[in-house]
Amino acid sequence: MAKPRIGIFKFTSCDGCQLSIFNLEEEFLQIAGLTEIAYFQEGQDAPDGNGFQAWAAHFDLAVVEGSISTERQSKELLDIRENSSRLITIGACATAGGVQALRNWADVSEFKASEYPAPDAVEALAESTPISAHVHVDYELWGCPINSAEFSEVLASFLLGKTPGVPGYSLCMECKRKGIPCVLVAGQAPCLGPVTRAGCGVLCPSLNRACYGCFGPKDGANIMALMRIFQGFGYTENQCRMMLDKMNTYKFREMEEKG
Amino acid sequence: MRGKTIQTDYLSRVEGEAGLFARILADRVEAQFRVFEAPRFFESFLKDRSHQDAIDFTARICGICPVAYQMTAVHAIEKIFSVDVEQPIKQLRRLFYAGEWIESHALHVYLLHGPDFYGAASAWEKESYLPYAKMGLHFKKLGNRLMAIIGGRPVHPVSVKAGGFFKLPGKRELIAALGELEDAYEKSIKAISWAAGLPFQPVPLDTEYVALRHPREYPMNEGRVVSNLGLDVSMDSFLEGIRQNQVGHSTALHWKIQRDGKGENYLAGPLARVNLNFDQLPEEIKDAVKSAGVPIPIDNIEMGIIARCIEIAYAFSEAVRIIKNYEEPAMAAAGAQVRPGTATWITEAPRGILIHRYTLDDAGNVKDCLIVPPTSQNTGHIERTLSNYLKVNSGKPAEALKKECERIIRGYDPCISCSVHVVKI
Repeated sequence: MAKPRIGIFKFTSCDGCQLSIFNLEEEFLQIAGLTEIAYFQEGQDAPDGNGFQAWAAHFDLAVVEGSISTERQSKELLDIRENSSRLITIGACATAGGVQALRNWADVSEFKASEYPAPDAVEALAESTPISAHVHVDYELWGCPINSAEFSEVLASFLLGKTPGVPGYSLCMECKRKGIPCVLVAGQAPCLGPVTRAGCGVLCPSLNRACYGCFGPKDGANIMALMRIFQGFGYTENQCRMMLDKMNTYKFREMEEKG
Repeated sequence: MRGKTIQTDYLSRVEGEAGLFARILADRVEAQFRVFEAPRFFESFLKDRSHQDAIDFTARICGICPVAYQMTAVHAIEKIFSVDVEQPIKQLRRLFYAGEWIESHALHVYLLHGPDFYGAASAWEKESYLPYAKMGLHFKKLGNRLMAIIGGRPVHPVSVKAGGFFKLPGKRELIAALGELEDAYEKSIKAISWAAGLPFQPVPLDTEYVALRHPREYPMNEGRVVSNLGLDVSMDSFLEGIRQNQVGHSTALHWKIQRDGKGENYLAGPLARVNLNFDQLPEEIKDAVKSAGVPIPIDNIEMGIIARCIEIAYAFSEAVRIIKNYEEPAMAAAGAQVRPGTATWITEAPRGILIHRYTLDDAGNVKDCLIVPPTSQNTGHIERTLSNYLKVNSGKPAEALKKECERIIRGYDPCISCSVHVVKI
């Protein structure tokens, strides 16, 4: 049987989620042996030596990191989707637009002008959007960055044709199982745990710190109810807004609109 | 002589998106390092956010060196707040940074750049290279482990705050890592002579190079900015003395040292650090470098890979030393009194000096911020080196030059995601 062809693609991002693939360490070499890594510009030379023609090749699985924030990327993404049997996104940028989606609620021309002496030469769309705003996505993996073990599970599931066993419930579930004292109830800290997807391993509450939502909204999160609690603690509406407007701002706002 | 064009649209085995375009003409050579990575506007959206957000957000500029961003930000913030950080916390931060140096350098040496010297398209393409790939992954794993013990996770750690950490790492976890770190240190010492034996082409380092220098230690979080041309200034003065240029073919700005009204390219990074701070390395590492026949100062840009291997060994030795002498700090974080002000700080990211400047308001929120990553300081230098190399080697076939130029760029370990985040002064 031919080995499944995998392509790993990057758009606007910090590379941290691709790095999490390398962070599988020894397991990474096993993946490289079980599959054909047909495209992975950060890790290997493309057969054409240039990197772009390869995008027209067929992939059994496309793994996409990064959000869409330029015209060029939106075109390249269509090519990738057209040539891939399955497409999954990894991380907050690809799944939720990333921290760079904060520009969506501001004026990007002002951003350009404040950062570059010649702003007109800088190509950037007014919005940074998740991959799912452009093409059909077969599976979305959350996190800023992703959890390497979850990536491994998703990859194995796709190779085996099964549904990945990645939770969509809240961080609180994970936190309670670990027996960590609640930073929200006991500490009155503005913890986003109740509305945030599990998956990080409860990093912040373990450090006695409020969760800041880097795994994005959990399925069916009731965000406004939590914000009312924060306001009861004395946080202003603007402060609450800033807590939600981080690396998953696009999806938290979408979830709020759904109510 | 006929004109030659050398073009790589999208460089492989580097962090981020950039290409190479060069032309060899009868009377001149033009070389461009074209960064097309999309900008993300960190400095703009940090405005009015809390100083803690500066620590958490700037980490997201780079998945490979988040600790560098967190360390630079937290030191700048502590300077504004006039926080006195106790020695054990400083040592823990050094251990944290050592983990990142190991993780970042091992990735670059063994998985990205190393295959260039073996004619391989990737670290896993050739059976004969696999032992090096495995060693790199093993080193990286240990670097990641240190970062995870102190920061919760290796990519975008969550423990850093003004004054110290949200919570101290468990002493038992640190000690449990000691055996493997000592073993890796021995291996990393041997790797210095492996790197020294790689086939290098002559690519002269004949410009100014810049690094931090500290009177008592190899530089990471503290020091003055020095260069081989006698520069020796405070962090603030250094920032005042450099200027940015925007270049049409790049979303990264090019930074130059201003001298007599002219902008000069300079190099930051492991080569600069090793050359300017060799005397601060432990004797055993110095001996390993000498017996491997490496000349100090290293005067070939291609030998950056040796400098990285020297620093991997150093980071392992520091990790072992710090853990062996570890005394639990009295508090996880010194009390930090929020106050307004402006401060510049520079730390040594794996790829070289990283500059942050913040202005905070009465509430400790960011009013203004400037971030100058090492790669945006090196981009001008990369183009200069490519153009010099092509002048000397113009007779070679274009295909060979393309590979060689790609390898030269890779030797800088450019961090392109980092390089596009810059703001005008």
